[in-house]
Amino acid sequence: MSKNIFKKSVLIAAILFLAACKKDDPKIINEEEEFSRVVITVTNEGDQSSEQYTFEVEGHDHADETESTEDTHEDHLEVELAPNSSYLFEIRFYNDEDPNNPEDVTQEIIDEADDHHVFYELTDGANISIESGTGDTMDSNSNALNLITRWTTTAAGVADVIAYLIHEPSTKTGTTRNDFGGATDVELEFEAHVE
Amino acid sequence: MTTSFVFSQECNLTIDGKIIDIEDNSPLEAAAIEVIGTHLTAVSNANGAFVLRNQCKGKLTLKISHLNCEPVFRELDLDKSSSFTFQLEHKIENLDEVVVSKLRVHELSATSKIHALSELQKDRFSSKGLAGALEQISGVSVLSTGNSIGKPVIHGMLGSRVGVVYDDVMLENQQWGQDHAPNVDLNTFENIRLIKGAGILKYGTTPGGVVILESILPKRVDSLYGKTILSGLYNGRGYSAISNWVKSYKSGAYIKLQGTFKRNGDFTAPNYNLTNTGNKENNFSVLLGKNGLQHKWKAFFSYFDTDIAILKSAHIGNVKDLLRAIESDVPLVIDPLKSDIGYPKQANNHYTANIEYTNTNFANGELHLKYSWQRNNRKEFDIRRGERKNTPSLDMELNTHNLLSNYEWNTRFGDFDSGVFFQVQDNYSNPETEIRRLIPDYLKTKLGSYFTATFDNTKDFIFAFGARYEHHNNEVQKFYRDSRWNLKNYEAPFRKYVVKEEASQKLVKRTLTFNTFSFNAGVRHRVSPSYSLNVNYNHTQRAPNIAEMFSDGLHHSLASIEYGNPFLEKETTHKVVVDFEKKVGDFQFAITPFITIGKNNHIIIEPTGVESTIRGAFPVWEYTTVSALFKGIDLDFSYAFNPNTQFRNTTSWVEATNTKTDLPLVNIPPLTTNNELQFSLPKWKSFFVLLNSKTVFRQNRYPNNNFPQAVVENGQIVTKTVDISTPPNGYHDLGIELNWGPYPLRSSKVSVSLILDNVLDASYRNYLNRLRFYSDEIGRNIRLQIKLYH
Repeated sequence: MSKNIFKKSVLIAAILFLAACKKDDPKIINEEEEFSRVVITVTNEGDQSSEQYTFEVEGHDHADETESTEDTHEDHLEVELAPNSSYLFEIRFYNDEDPNNPEDVTQEIIDEADDHHVFYELTDGANISIESGTGDTMDSNSNALNLITRWTTTAAGVADVIAYLIHEPSTKTGTTRNDFGGATDVELEFEAHVE
Repeated sequence: MTTSFVFSQECNLTIDGKIIDIEDNSPLEAAAIEVIGTHLTAVSNANGAFVLRNQCKGKLTLKISHLNCEPVFRELDLDKSSSFTFQLEHKIENLDEVVVSKLRVHELSATSKIHALSELQKDRFSSKGLAGALEQISGVSVLSTGNSIGKPVIHGMLGSRVGVVYDDVMLENQQWGQDHAPNVDLNTFENIRLIKGAGILKYGTTPGGVVILESILPKRVDSLYGKTILSGLYNGRGYSAISNWVKSYKSGAYIKLQGTFKRNGDFTAPNYNLTNTGNKENNFSVLLGKNGLQHKWKAFFSYFDTDIAILKSAHIGNVKDLLRAIESDVPLVIDPLKSDIGYPKQANNHYTANIEYTNTNFANGELHLKYSWQRNNRKEFDIRRGERKNTPSLDMELNTHNLLSNYEWNTRFGDFDSGVFFQVQDNYSNPETEIRRLIPDYLKTKLGSYFTATFDNTKDFIFAFGARYEHHNNEVQKFYRDSRWNLKNYEAPFRKYVVKEEASQKLVKRTLTFNTFSFNAGVRHRVSPSYSLNVNYNHTQRAPNIAEMFSDGLHHSLASIEYGNPFLEKETTHKVVVDFEKKVGDFQFAITPFITIGKNNHIIIEPTGVESTIRGAFPVWEYTTVSALFKGIDLDFSYAFNPNTQFRNTTSWVEATNTKTDLPLVNIPPLTTNNELQFSLPKWKSFFVLLNSKTVFRQNRYPNNNFPQAVVENGQIVTKTVDISTPPNGYHDLGIELNWGPYPLRSSKVSVSLILDNVLDASYRNYLNRLRFYSDEIGRNIRLQIKLYH
């Protein structure tokens, strides 16, 4: 008998608990730190003509995009360059997770220049040399960040290019991605057509 | 000379007596009573009685030992044949200091083998954590993340399938995560016990097993006592102080205070520093209560707070970084040793407050009422930039309220226990992390009851039965990204639950209910006083946890994206465990084979594809169900060469297979065997040496979860395999422990231990360490431990 009383009191307490706990709607989170769009502006130093190339992640949500998990290697963006010319490549990073409030994250990278580095890794096939360009950002050790680079072309050819934004690289000098260490924040691919 | 004087005496005296369990004064059978310095040994019978004949007049020392008890030494000055009663304390070394009232849950299970850690085994890991301490038991391994985070794995199962019960309440602390250690301090409790069966239905439904942490309640006497352990360690440049004090009164009132303070810096592997691997812990608990003759009150409060650094080189950005780490023999970040904790790190705290009332004479039974509150906060810090540098990437708060009532009664037919329970659990993910929630916000209620019965009427058999019913109600509020929503075709099944659409995300509010019914049946057959056989069958139903259904996010250390499966159903597991235990003279052994079957609805996570992000392509892991078969065997064997030399071996083997595909399951502990030799000098009985040799074989059964990744090498794009599957080689770990004491020190006693881990400074990697891709395990360590009993 008395056991029932306890069971009942437990049940009543349970109901009281339930009544007391009502959850509010959770707040939506837009990941404003991550990059969702990268724009590379290529300016021909000869005639000052320029072109913009925009990279957006396939898995990212934009109003009219759908997700693709297929290998998109085949339809890489092509950057057209002329032989025996020089170009300035300016890379900028954006977050437009919240479409009403797109953000330019490049300034955060500049503010933490010591912790960041941009590196372009090229396959064989094109004769392109890359160095830091006019107006590039320097870190406290006078290492260029490569936010602005000068690309000098010679003979015609095609190369695959992988651009990396590296966070906390172990060094800022190297010739392959492996040399830099650190964690990759951005990785994007395009083809450089020198023709 | 003294010896010649002794030998000149007539040796025809008899010592007889009884060995009883201090907990409940029951006779202890199969205790060994040895006369130190001779080879005379008696073994107590079923009534606890023993006889030692042909004893000489004069001083002698008896060593009384029993399976799972620390030996007790008694000095006697014999002048005529005499009778004695010796009390033996399970698991407690110094019975002079700790006086115990009847343990309330003395019979956790009458038909399962209960493994208890001795005080020595427990103190050895006082500064290292619960999982490591439990690993000393056969069949238990540790799934670790680095060197400071460990989860117990019992018979190949972990996480939500292994329960940690403390002070009679299941610990609730985001246990779904593989890199989440139980947020509890083992030093708060005197007793640590483990059952490898499907747990105790009184506490919950955990098919792997259950770990039980208990405080010993003081006796009704005026007394003040306690224990302090001070430790220092060489590798890690760390130290810890652990202290507890108990004040008890004749009235039955008592108070116990306990605190732990721990600091460790970066550890080192044999060949390099393990950058950012330190940790710190600040814990405090207070237990107070009153043991009246009929009414007992108990209140418990504990605070656990830890910061754990995560190996810096394990923080990677994408799959290419992972590939680089795997291909490198050494960590990609090696800095000089530091004592502070940098990023990435985990910062966890856990609060508990319990209040309990017991009426020991309520309608001829014992009635318990208990309310318990737990609050767990878990923060994970990654390496971030800008103003978010000091903002955690994950910040979850889990509040759990439990209300329990149970009633135990004995009749001439058997012993019974029945109870009802109610739980409310609230999980809140702090949106200020600005990282999408890995686990959604939810409100869970659980309601149910259990009943257990034990029949111990016949001479040779004990039978036990139990049943537990649980009703779960999960109210989940989750944001889905539109891309995921469309990819998985959630529109049809879940459209009706969408409450809000905002910025390419949908807020879904769903209520999921699960009803689970679990039962077990067991028998213990006492074939002879020295031979027993247990057989236990457990049918366990477990509701899927929220992570299995709704997790959604990126795991940095493995560069993988994890998704829950919202269609999961309850998981049913059948487990049969058999224990043979036998003692033949100085040999003692236990053989524990088991088999676990999860048919069709055993929940695992497996790789399912690749997702492209602006960081590169990431493998996607999703929860799914398989048919699983676990089988294995644990062996415990000990042999006393003589009263001063004992040998012990524990061996564990487990094999787990997805029977649908006939492929092995991932992260199953490899074959492990542990040899331990303990010896002391007859003349110098307060000193002993313990040698420990642990051999872990290579795991040869593993699924292939490797995936390809294109990289640029020598100006060409080549495709490489990211090998996250191949287990590392086996290893051998040698430990030495030297113990002195206890020696009297004023009114206290002191003992000193010098412990050497990985004496050979071997470099190895451990299959069950999730950071094995990044670094070796820690190298040689020297620990000094000073124990004070006051």
